[in-house]
Amino acid sequence: MAEAVDMRKFRIRGVIKFLIWTTASGALIVFFWVSYFNGTIYRHYYYKANMDGYAINAFAIAHATKDTPAFLKIGPFESVEGLQAAPVKKGDRLPGNATGIISKKIVGEGKRAALHEGTLKVMIPKEIREARGVRFIDTFKHKGVETNPWGAVWSVAFILFFGASLGLMAEGFTDMMGLKIKKIKHYEGVH
Amino acid sequence: MFEFAIAGIQAPIFLLMITGFTVGIVGGFIGVGGGYMVTPALIVFGFPGYMASGIDIMHIAGKSVVATVRHRQLGNIDWILGLAMVGGTMMGVEMGVRILNWTKALGLSAIALLTGSVVIMLGLFIYTQIETRRAHKRIDEISEAGVTVGRELKATRFSDFWQSIKIYPIVRCHVARIIISLWVIVFVGVCTGVLAGFFGVGGGFIRVPALVYVIGATTHIAVGTDLLEIVVSAGYGGLRHFMSGNVDMVAVFWMILGAMVGAQFGSIATAFVRGPAIRYILAYSLGLAVVGAFFRLIYLLTGQQYMFLNLFAVVFTLGEMLFLCLFIGSLVLFAVQYRRGKWVPAWIPALVVKED
Repeated sequence: MAEAVDMRKFRIRGVIKFLIWTTASGALIVFFWVSYFNGTIYRHYYYKANMDGYAINAFAIAHATKDTPAFLKIGPFESVEGLQAAPVKKGDRLPGNATGIISKKIVGEGKRAALHEGTLKVMIPKEIREARGVRFIDTFKHKGVETNPWGAVWSVAFILFFGASLGLMAEGFTDMMGLKIKKIKHYEGVH
Repeated sequence: MFEFAIAGIQAPIFLLMITGFTVGIVGGFIGVGGGYMVTPALIVFGFPGYMASGIDIMHIAGKSVVATVRHRQLGNIDWILGLAMVGGTMMGVEMGVRILNWTKALGLSAIALLTGSVVIMLGLFIYTQIETRRAHKRIDEISEAGVTVGRELKATRFSDFWQSIKIYPIVRCHVARIIISLWVIVFVGVCTGVLAGFFGVGGGFIRVPALVYVIGATTHIAVGTDLLEIVVSAGYGGLRHFMSGNVDMVAVFWMILGAMVGAQFGSIATAFVRGPAIRYILAYSLGLAVVGAFFRLIYLLTGQQYMFLNLFAVVFTLGEMLFLCLFIGSLVLFAVQYRRGKWVPAWIPALVVKED
């Protein structure tokens, strides 16, 4: 009888724990997706330029080739939409939608990208390169981009809180189901 | 298919959740982050290599919190031991990263990394296998004599030497029932941290054996305490990776959801088994990882000419996750059958516990 009462109390505590932590997890999930859809997460990532050059959207030029180059309109755009390039200096905030920077050095070389009649002509958006014996595809995506250090703190803090919240929610769930998970007796018997 | 804008790829969410789930099971059970399994899987799904490691380490931080919460409930965490080791681990990780950069400057990083990981994992695999087999045999002998065998049985006294070093301050770890010099704990933290930093992983597959064989903790406590360590080291790694632009948080989010469920299974499964069962799984995980790393090493040494070697490496790594999950699942299943008095294979009773 006493055992049944104990179990009932245990399960009620489990229900309360489960509800609290499910609410907390739900709130964190909503917070995450709101941050995703309003662009906060994106802005944490594409924060500042760490080289002089042209901020571009690498997706817009992905299909350019030597024969069919992409011509990007140059201007001080607040947001890079499609075939546009915004001149930036090291330390400048990146315009919206920018996913990489074509450096002035690359433009000066004129092999992969060059200035052409007031536009930025991109001929080789990706190339296979080799470094220390390992081949990799080199693109303009993420090139010259500096992330927001507070964004890194935000992300790690979110992940740790989210993990703790999910863990406690799961603990509440097993308690609610009456699965009494006891502490392991490490030192009983021969060891 | 979901578009991961930052990673710049499209990938099915369920694959990420399944990866999180399977690595959650393995990680919760043997106390590793699972970086050496997840990164190749993410590359196969189309994530760029640098993104794969960043997403991996960030998801490991979250998953380890989930598993740590459950291991705390199971009484598998020695907070004093864990916190005493954190400083050494962080110092070691930083040293490991610097050594890596030094080998990079020499133009050796990929080959040095793979050769180092093959040698260390092979050594740990052989030692853990031999020791665990001996412990398994001893459990069988003790059980036949009609004596109750505890959760843990080790066939080595290596930790006695380390515990006999009396350099002050001496730390009393209540849960692990160890009295040991703080400097030994810091030393182990630094050594395992160097390897973790050098290989770019959480370091669980090195730290769990170190906690068991050098510090002298039981395997269950080593697993729980190591997960606590991983929360700190992977959290720090996640911060560094994010600042280097290697993390797509949306991919991390989906992986954590899968890992949350998997980590529950993995952590709770430890309550059904004895220490040697966990060490067997750890040894097999190391053994399979060695094979994968070996294929990759040969692939690099032959100038990346033979693509099938790289394919073998990936297949082995992905197969390893599945194999380990099935192994853990069957151990739990047999443990339940054993508790119910049903038939189980002859090798099972020594590895599982009848009741708590």
